[in-house]
Amino acid sequence: MEYKFLFDSLVIAGISTILALLIIIVDSIVNNYGEVTISINDNKKVIKAKGGSSLLTTLSAERIFIPSACGGRGTCGACKVIVTTDIGPVYPTEKPFMDKSELETNTRLSCQIKVKQDVSIKIPEELFLIKKIKARVEKITDLTHDIKEIIFKFNEGVDFSFKAGQYVQLEIPPYEKIKDFTQRAYSISSAPKIKDKIELLIRLVPGGILTTYVFKFMKEEMEFDIIGPMGDFIVRENNSVMICGAGGSGMAPIKSIIEDMIDNNIKDREIWYFFGARSASDQFYIEKFRSYEKILPNFHYVPMISESESGDRWKGEKGMITTVMDKFLKTKIDKNAPREGYLCGSPGMIDACVKIMKDNGIKEENIYYDKF
Amino acid sequence: MKISPLFKKAYDNMRPGRITMEGFLGDDERTLTDIISEDEKEVKFLKMDFEIISSKLKYFLNEGLKGLGEPLTVDKKWLVRVDEARGRLPCPFEDKIVNKKTVYVKNVEKNLDFFYSDLSIHLIEAHHFFEGKGSTFRLEPSLIKQILEI
Repeated sequence: MEYKFLFDSLVIAGISTILALLIIIVDSIVNNYGEVTISINDNKKVIKAKGGSSLLTTLSAERIFIPSACGGRGTCGACKVIVTTDIGPVYPTEKPFMDKSELETNTRLSCQIKVKQDVSIKIPEELFLIKKIKARVEKITDLTHDIKEIIFKFNEGVDFSFKAGQYVQLEIPPYEKIKDFTQRAYSISSAPKIKDKIELLIRLVPGGILTTYVFKFMKEEMEFDIIGPMGDFIVRENNSVMICGAGGSGMAPIKSIIEDMIDNNIKDREIWYFFGARSASDQFYIEKFRSYEKILPNFHYVPMISESESGDRWKGEKGMITTVMDKFLKTKIDKNAPREGYLCGSPGMIDACVKIMKDNGIKEENIYYDKF
Repeated sequence: MKISPLFKKAYDNMRPGRITMEGFLGDDERTLTDIISEDEKEVKFLKMDFEIISSKLKYFLNEGLKGLGEPLTVDKKWLVRVDEARGRLPCPFEDKIVNKKTVYVKNVEKNLDFFYSDLSIHLIEAHHFFEGKGSTFRLEPSLIKQILEI
């Protein structure tokens, strides 16, 4: 009886092994796409790579970095490229992120399409300039209870060039329950003049994978990969009055822009910067920006709080950023001068500020923003 | 017990790395059916119902959005902040796609807080699913009752 049980078990184990081997063999035949060619921007760059992986991953392995905020899970909709080869219909996972014109131009999410054949794509030229560089945490400073200023220093000889207002993607290693590397986008808050280091402002998001890591585990001297620069939230060179608005870590790109203007001695442009926070203890950099007002005679810094806490000695503006911005646009800022908007913050804050700006006569095409 | 194809698919989607990096199950080893049915019993025991819970969660989401990314006091008792991230998340039951919003709620009088997402509201309302024990976005029904004072 025992021998029969042992024999039956061995037969089952043998059949299972054969089936597993068959699956591996079939998989290697069916999913072996061999070497494929990816032509970028009409053969400006041609890549030969092993087929079968997502376009995002394949390009990243060749050090061409398409911006992505979710690490290739198809949930952020950022990694769009135009595919000029017929690779079949748009997947249901892509459709929610595409508008009509993108569908017409065969825009695809590079994380969702697999490279199974030779393919031609178009990407913005500036993506060729994006680098993946190691950086060491030089200094961490608590700006408020939930915002940290972090300075990353690049290795000797690295010259990290970027434009004020651009962002990078910070990559963190697996930790606790997180089994993969994670990337998230953060605007650079330092000025482009400094090329051997960058400064980021990171706000704790409850349940956020990257921000939880930063607040629990990131320490000075640790080394991370930084990918960038990316983004087109940059100052348009003209004489329009700049109306800037931000809240929380949305401070970052505007700070970089103002410091860049100081470094380039651009003193004649009129700038109004509205920065919102809930309470006085949530405000930061006030003295820094008051000192910038002395360097740039036409720069006006307007910090505000939306709620008072007991013990607050706040003497500045009070109210939501939209209320204060509206008041200044109506009473203090020249309505007849050409004006431009520069906004960085949550989608809700940006939408509300865009409405206020439009209601006060600023054309929508002259409002630039960086939604988180 | 036979598992329905819908639950099997949803359970697969809830694993780490499918929809979210961490997944929806935490270190809970119970079946999806058991997680849901035990939470349904808990909700009944606490004299709450799913409609009231989801409407309260929606209320704090909508009030929190008025803070435009900054915290604000709601009804003199709760401090609420809504964070929005780029993109959308599909429900693991594949019946809805939601925006990525995280709502932080603190009952200032009780000094108790928790956070939830747009997706949490849908999962509770449509599927009675509070996520598995140990999941970052798991909502304990008893904590909901205490903090939101339902």
